[in-house]
Amino acid sequence: MLIVFLAILALFITLHSIPGDPISIALGPRATPEIQAEYAARMHLDKPLYHQFVIFIGNVLKGDLGNDLFSNRSVLLILSEQLPYTIVLAVTAIGWSALIGIPLGCLSAVKPNSLLDKITGIVSVGTIAIPSFLVSIWAILIFSVGLKWLPVIGAGEPGDFGDQIYHLILPAFAVGLGWVGYLARMVRASMLEVMSENYIRSANAFGLKSRTIIFKYALKVAILPTITLIGVGFGALLSGTVFAEIIFSRPGIGKIIYNMVLARNFPVIQGAVLITIGMYVIVTLIADLAVSWLDPRVRDTL
Amino acid sequence: MKAHKKKIILSLPDVILPEKLVLFLRNPMGVLGFTLVLLIVISAVFAPLFATHNPFTMDIANRLAGPSFDNFLGTDQLGRDTYTRVLYGGRVALQVAAIGVSVSLIVGLTLGMIAGYGPLWLDNMLLLLFDAIRSFPTIVLALAAVALLGPSLSLVMTIVIITSIPGYARLARTSTLSIKNTEFILAEQSLGASMKRVLAIHIMPNVIGPLLILAAMDVPVVVTIEAGLSFLGLGVQPPTASWGTILNEGYLIIRTTPWIVIAGGIPLILTTLGFTFLGESLRDVFDPRLRKGK
Amino acid sequence: MTKLLDVKNLNVDFRTPLGRVHALRDINFSITKGKIVGIVGESGSGKSTIIWTITQLLAKNAIVKSGVANFNGMDLLKADNDTIRGIRGEKISMVFQDPMTSQSPVLTYAQQMNDIMYRKNELSSQEKREKAIAMMRRVGIPDPESRIDQYPHQFSGGMRQRAGIAMSMLVEPSLLIADEPTTALDVTMEAQIIHLIRELQKETDTTIMVVSHNLGLIAELCDEVIIMYAGEILETGKIEEIYSNPSHPYTQALLACDPARESKKTRTLSVIPGDIPDSHIKPKGCVFASRCELAVQHCRTEKPENYRISRSNHLAKCHLLDPKKPLPKPQSNFKKIPKTKISSERFSHKDKEKLLKVNNIRVQFPIMTKLKAKLKGINDPYVDAVFNASLSLERGETLGLVGESGSGKTTLGRAILGLVRTKSGSAEYNGRDLCQLNSREFKPLRRNMAMMFQDPVGSLSPRQTVRSLMVEPFKIHGIEKNYDEEAKRLCETVRLPENFLSRYPHELSGGQARRVGVARALALNPEFIIADEPTAGLDVSVQGEILNLMNDLQDEHGIAYLVISHNLPVVRHISDKLAIMYLGRLIETGDSANIFEKPAHPYTEALVNGIPQPDPKKRRKLLSIEGEIPSLTSRPLGCEFHTRCKYVQKKCKFDPPSIKTLSDGREVLCHFPLET
Repeated sequence: MLIVFLAILALFITLHSIPGDPISIALGPRATPEIQAEYAARMHLDKPLYHQFVIFIGNVLKGDLGNDLFSNRSVLLILSEQLPYTIVLAVTAIGWSALIGIPLGCLSAVKPNSLLDKITGIVSVGTIAIPSFLVSIWAILIFSVGLKWLPVIGAGEPGDFGDQIYHLILPAFAVGLGWVGYLARMVRASMLEVMSENYIRSANAFGLKSRTIIFKYALKVAILPTITLIGVGFGALLSGTVFAEIIFSRPGIGKIIYNMVLARNFPVIQGAVLITIGMYVIVTLIADLAVSWLDPRVRDTL
Repeated sequence: MKAHKKKIILSLPDVILPEKLVLFLRNPMGVLGFTLVLLIVISAVFAPLFATHNPFTMDIANRLAGPSFDNFLGTDQLGRDTYTRVLYGGRVALQVAAIGVSVSLIVGLTLGMIAGYGPLWLDNMLLLLFDAIRSFPTIVLALAAVALLGPSLSLVMTIVIITSIPGYARLARTSTLSIKNTEFILAEQSLGASMKRVLAIHIMPNVIGPLLILAAMDVPVVVTIEAGLSFLGLGVQPPTASWGTILNEGYLIIRTTPWIVIAGGIPLILTTLGFTFLGESLRDVFDPRLRKGK
Repeated sequence: MTKLLDVKNLNVDFRTPLGRVHALRDINFSITKGKIVGIVGESGSGKSTIIWTITQLLAKNAIVKSGVANFNGMDLLKADNDTIRGIRGEKISMVFQDPMTSQSPVLTYAQQMNDIMYRKNELSSQEKREKAIAMMRRVGIPDPESRIDQYPHQFSGGMRQRAGIAMSMLVEPSLLIADEPTTALDVTMEAQIIHLIRELQKETDTTIMVVSHNLGLIAELCDEVIIMYAGEILETGKIEEIYSNPSHPYTQALLACDPARESKKTRTLSVIPGDIPDSHIKPKGCVFASRCELAVQHCRTEKPENYRISRSNHLAKCHLLDPKKPLPKPQSNFKKIPKTKISSERFSHKDKEKLLKVNNIRVQFPIMTKLKAKLKGINDPYVDAVFNASLSLERGETLGLVGESGSGKTTLGRAILGLVRTKSGSAEYNGRDLCQLNSREFKPLRRNMAMMFQDPVGSLSPRQTVRSLMVEPFKIHGIEKNYDEEAKRLCETVRLPENFLSRYPHELSGGQARRVGVARALALNPEFIIADEPTAGLDVSVQGEILNLMNDLQDEHGIAYLVISHNLPVVRHISDKLAIMYLGRLIETGDSANIFEKPAHPYTEALVNGIPQPDPKKRRKLLSIEGEIPSLTSRPLGCEFHTRCKYVQKKCKFDPPSIKTLSDGREVLCHFPLET
């Protein structure tokens, strides 16, 4: 929680300590003094800095994130239109990469140095190394331009579920690809470490079935650091999502920020960053809670 | 004291060279990685030697040409030779990597050691700071920064450094913490060693190893960030060539010709793969627990 | 007298990066049904490898070159995966060395025990649970109905081992294998576990195979014993015979080195000189020849046969026992290794100057951050690791600080050296109170006191050569000397060959690393040294080396030692005085011989009686002590030992005792000290 506060504070201070007059930057050189004054009053720029911050926090808690500089629509409204797309993309990406990555990592750990393990190893390293935006671009090249199988732009017609999925495939693939390798490696390393623990040897000595040992005794422990890492890596995932939104012209938080950056639309940017922070914090919290729920040792220290 | 230090550094190769070098050379991935890295570095440093054209010269008549003997990778929409621009783009990438990684490493190492060895409140504070920065999506930070300050290469560099420091710091901190509680640190204290001495002579040499490996793995990340930001128009500005800007130009005309996008992407992949393989095999050599199945 | 397990001609190798290790060579032994058989060996003997071989749990780089392991008519080594899994957990069961890591941390005991019984399809889950609860009760875990649903980390060490035994007995195995079952436990808990295993065996008539390096444990438990050395079996036979008439020179030497066998107090201990042979090389002759005092030329070139000693099954592999060869028979009273130096006199005790006087030291540790404590409403979130500890150390004497885990002995040692802050109390040295000094004031005094650490390799900085480690004290204190000369001198003092100077800690064996630790401690000629568990991790046959070295140095230089240890037999031989700790308090201090012969405090008596005796004739029938050490956070009222005291009276439960001085000068913290 402290992190959120710190981040917001930092954001606020940075935004307000940029060189130059915010008014003229926002409004451009052609604004008349009247417009400037009106803007100043509206944005409370005439009040001292800490007062502005308090007003800001107050507004956030009320749900008021300010208004778009140009269209004057509520920032909250704008963002809430865009947010679902981002969430869908992020969740799909994590989903498919986990579905493939985790079992792959598990299998590699169970049969180390086998052919599967070696192939998985190289593929993992490879997919982690390739930047996700490059994957996006080349995916477009191959599948949209070359083979003409999948669409490039947009998220599909709202309301048309099938079309939405159709538009989701490529971006989700691009964003999730790097994670397959990341997760596989993490699970593999974790499992290997767990499998060499004494209690696994005990379980073997008691004659338990391999399957029981792998899933009930080993994986249950090995998955814990993986969950934490998903939480931590979520920030990177969001980065990838933003790129994907921009490249595929999909609606979403990332796209909005990008557009607004070029237009210097501060309230929207501010609001979007806030939402990003919020998302990240929620995900980390969920991850931490999941770990404590699964690991009885942590439960007791709480 | 100086002679003592020298002895440590000089005696390291004795331990490291024979055994570990052999292990390293046995690893095909590592050798491949090393070769790639060497290739990239040489081509970037000696770009003017290998280049066939000037990266800025335009030849409109010849624009969007495919690969040919004259232009190994074809030309872009302004008729500039793609191959040359790619070579020069490597310079940008490596520049960012070299400066970015070194600064982050040094700052991260220092902060991490302080966090690990110093008082608990300082550790908590620094940890909070590290986590806050590290987990933030870089791109969002970059976009916000650009919104305020305008795009430029130095901005990219700064962002890269700021977002990398927590990674090194965290690692340094963990290593320091684990060493701090070993018996040999206690032993040094029982002999009367001061904190400065303990940190410099005993803790640092044991901590820096993993950090150097992290640095090797970090280069691809840094290069990717630079390319990504330049791709979005937030970093290097035209007409300077950067792999990111090349990709951007290629992307815009992707339906017309695929070559630019391919040309811009390949060096990026080679660099990231090269450094990653190198880093991975370095880690295998120095910490083989993770690779070998028992 | 059926043979349950019959192993013949077993040979096992390991593939390592440095070549092949011949871990087991020509192993032949059998276990009779209903008996308890012990396998004794030091490090590198291969005793644990046998266990993993017959259960097919060896690491992947192991190769079983030859051999049969006949179990109830089936060859275990050739069984396929399903068959062997069936046997493990149904017919053969195990108890592991370290209860802290051998049990899954994320499953309750109920779940783990249920899993173990998975093959018993005839029982319902409710019945399985009841069976498990009954077994837990049988092994002495209180309140099993609710505790069965707890996790291992909620149990103490001793309780975890009991639970481990319960788990292994659940399937009613024909053969129970115990791998160092008490090594990780305190002395008093060890005694209880030994007692438990004996009783369980009587009830169920399970055949047990115990593997250990602890001669006392084996003597207490086993009917028959197998002696192993460097991958081979050297002697086998009934326990009484082997302990009273050891025939192989190694067995004789091993028994002679065990300090618990020596009833008279001797300052020096026997040692088997040399190191175990390199397991990469197959020895041509007898494997023990290189270290055997009685070896003749013949021994080094030809492998000895297994000769029968008596009409019973007593066998030993030694050329000297060949009835056909006219060689002198090995004596059963093995000559002690004489000291390398005959010191003239012990450092004269005329100088009974008090070097160190510790008064009422109290050391506290926080158990939670102040914030959490406030939230939970706890006023005093501290635990007393050391409470009211007073002792004195004279020049040239050795004081043994003894206690089990949690007694605070290590903390006290560190507090004296200023490595841990004290809450109150003082430690006077040379007229100054060590507890009041800050690090800069302390620094010059550190030249006069040094510490030897428990973990020999871990206490040496991994990136420094032995040479730079030894001269580090000079550098820290800014003393200009010829470092090379000093390093050589120190090497000589600790009898370490000079070529070790360029080595790194990870290249040293445990014993060698300890010597480096001693050398470093000696560098500045200290007046006293605190030695933390100086024999931990050392084999019985080599621990004498370091102790004899310390003794010699004491004779030459008059160094005083504060030896912290839980190993009572060792401490008894090397200490002049003893100080026994329990729950952070000193409960008895005084002359060590007196304390051992006639302990005054009931806890001391329990400790002394709890030591496993390496003599089967001295098996204890009754248990010396019950219960567990209470947690430091919930100290009992009154006398803190009253919860476990055999002689407890009403007064003990409410009144904290005060220190009583006995006629021979001992101090005891007890209301009713035992008659002396």
